[in-house]
Amino acid sequence: MSTETTAPATAGSAPEKTVITSWKAPIALGVFALLAVVLFVFTPRPADTSTFRLSTPSDVIQLPEIVLPTHATGIVMTVLLVALSAYSAWLVWQKRRVPLWLIVVFAVLFLIAFLAWAGAGASIPIYGLLIGTVSLSVPLIFGALGGVISERVGVVNIAIEGQLLAGAFASAVIASITGNPYVGLIGAAVAGVLVSFVLAAFAIKYFVDQIIVGVVLNVLVIGLTSFLFSQVLTENTELLNRPPRFEQIAIPILSEIPVIGPMLFRQSIIVYAMYVAVFLVWFGLFHTRWGLRLRAVGEHPQAADTVGIKVTTLRFWNVSLAGAIAGFGGAYFTLGSVGAFNKEMTAGMGFIALAAVIFGRWDPIRATLAALLFGFASNIQNVLGIIGSPVPSEFMLMVPYVVTIFAVAGLVGVSRPPAANGTPYIKS
Amino acid sequence: MKTISRKAALSGLALIGTSALVLTGCASAPEDDGGNEGEAIDFLPCMVSDEGGFDDKSFNQLGFEGMVQAADELGVEYNEVESNAETDYAPNLTNLVDQGCDVIVTVGFALAEAASESAGANPDVNYISIDDTVDTDFDGETDHENIKPLVYDTAQAAFLGGYAAAATSQTGVVGTFGGQPFPTVTIFMDGFKQGVEYYNEVNGTSVSVLGWDGENGSFTGGFAAGTEAQTIAQGLIDQNADVILPVGGPIYQSAAAAIRDSDRDIALIGVDADVYETDPSVGDLLLTSIRKGMDVSVYEAVLAAGEGDFSNEAYVGTLENGGVSLAEFHDWESKVPAGLWDELESLKEQIISGEVTVESYLAG
Repeated sequence: MSTETTAPATAGSAPEKTVITSWKAPIALGVFALLAVVLFVFTPRPADTSTFRLSTPSDVIQLPEIVLPTHATGIVMTVLLVALSAYSAWLVWQKRRVPLWLIVVFAVLFLIAFLAWAGAGASIPIYGLLIGTVSLSVPLIFGALGGVISERVGVVNIAIEGQLLAGAFASAVIASITGNPYVGLIGAAVAGVLVSFVLAAFAIKYFVDQIIVGVVLNVLVIGLTSFLFSQVLTENTELLNRPPRFEQIAIPILSEIPVIGPMLFRQSIIVYAMYVAVFLVWFGLFHTRWGLRLRAVGEHPQAADTVGIKVTTLRFWNVSLAGAIAGFGGAYFTLGSVGAFNKEMTAGMGFIALAAVIFGRWDPIRATLAALLFGFASNIQNVLGIIGSPVPSEFMLMVPYVVTIFAVAGLVGVSRPPAANGTPYIKS
Repeated sequence: MKTISRKAALSGLALIGTSALVLTGCASAPEDDGGNEGEAIDFLPCMVSDEGGFDDKSFNQLGFEGMVQAADELGVEYNEVESNAETDYAPNLTNLVDQGCDVIVTVGFALAEAASESAGANPDVNYISIDDTVDTDFDGETDHENIKPLVYDTAQAAFLGGYAAAATSQTGVVGTFGGQPFPTVTIFMDGFKQGVEYYNEVNGTSVSVLGWDGENGSFTGGFAAGTEAQTIAQGLIDQNADVILPVGGPIYQSAAAAIRDSDRDIALIGVDADVYETDPSVGDLLLTSIRKGMDVSVYEAVLAAGEGDFSNEAYVGTLENGGVSLAEFHDWESKVPAGLWDELESLKEQIISGEVTVESYLAG
């Protein structure tokens, strides 16, 4: 009896499982295609045309505005969307995989149709949408890089939020006192490291549950910075909370590339540092001895130990490095953006960065893309709110989070963390 | 395993956060509530903030200043508790009642429900509710007889602000955005929009308002000055707006940063206090501020309560009683069209006399 039931189960489970997982894409695409039919075809908008602006007023090369007929665009895009989802269903029916390009094309077409529909009668600054995406993603990307390093070496880093906030606070105060934003940047990194030291000490030395330490650290940093802000900073705003901000530096030639130039190359130095950081972390993790050791410790510390890698030391310093990166990112809030520290100004960005780490499967490049996706979703909401979209404000505020949940739950599939992530290494 | 522990982490966060806050609430030493037979004035005014805290450079701070002034004048101590989360409101109120407060000022409409409950349970204590009429059962009347609501028809002052913005705008586009779509936020945006429309009607212009269409608009989702608020302000600037009204605590700071980045001549309008005075660092950008005279009305209400004539009559701040007003142009005096202030003065008279009506949920 028992052999009879197990045998077909094991035999049948493998193909059955693949079928179930791969139907996910066509179903998701189908739902969106249906939504497109309802919105873009049967919910007409009062205005006839939608305008897309591609060039900023200060660009050398001025691209013409693209004017699309709203309803016709909606119908054409919807037909394409339905066709794409049908094609994906056909592919799955043929037991083939749905290629990534199909999903990307689908997403882009849906976006164009949605923007044309929601922005009917208004002109949508595509460049603003893209520049804002990068601005909103910067702290997320730094936070996610910190998360990737820390978790790859085997220490769960819930404290990203605290590291960002500590960085924001320290950079504001130090840059205000010294009058030099670069010193503020260093201060931000140091503050992030200090937060990480606590995490590393408790998690690695004393084997305390890493998640609990991380959560407590977040609460501690929020409390501490809010207290100091109320008691010290507000009393001496001139001296302590008026840091110089980084100017935007336009890189010659590159910043004049139409559409993407202003987004990527008309930014402050923190954003340029971010490009370098993403590359270095990716290169370091996968192409250097340091990265190999780091990943080994995160996957199988005992094996790493037997070949002579000092597990606890490596973990300690890399968790500190992670804190430095996240703290550095925190400086963006004050020196790169607002120009003053504010109570709880990170507003949960650290947790979104954590989601980006998982969504990006503990890979720096993918985590960066995930952070950009969130930034883009937030900014769409901003832009549509301004031009007056037909979607209620409360719903729009929810969109970035819904996108994140869908992305993490729906698209990632099985995401496997580093095997030893979260478990302290106790040498026997 | 992974997911469970992360979930546990989040609930742990909530728990720790909450307990930390409750502990903060308990932090102030309890005072002995002896009998009230003393000859000297025995009166303890108290205040609970909402999540913004008393240093928000905005309505919590203004309300607090009003209470401190009243307490100084009466020569009595006062007590204040900051709330850090919604879950704090009820425990903070209970705590203040236990400390023997005679009048408790609740700042912000978010505290309405907690105030109603506390007022019902403690009929001997008087309550002053800022920004909300505390009508949780929606019967059109304040829930309990020991509550005095202080509300402000800021739409009237915002109407003047909108008129001034439309008159000042060179591009013919003005913009607004808020922290969260709360009625106390959108009332500013409503008045602003009506003011612009009125300007168009009178002068035959077509200045457009971005960020609020009467029902929906752009919101940062919170009241912190961060990248989000800056991006929205940037978005308004991308749409050519040259007067921006950010409604909600410190988010004007982000808007100021966006304006400075743009290198264009863009005006900012402050809310609640005269921001020119509370934050001189953005003074050069400020066209004007839409003021909500919470300090004065709280001062008056607390003083009256201290002198023994607490009344539960609702106070509605209007242009007429000076509860809401438009601040001066300060640095922008030279950049606004000549005679604008006189136009605004006469418009103000017309609003007071009812010749010009400003719609809002408090009007009527």
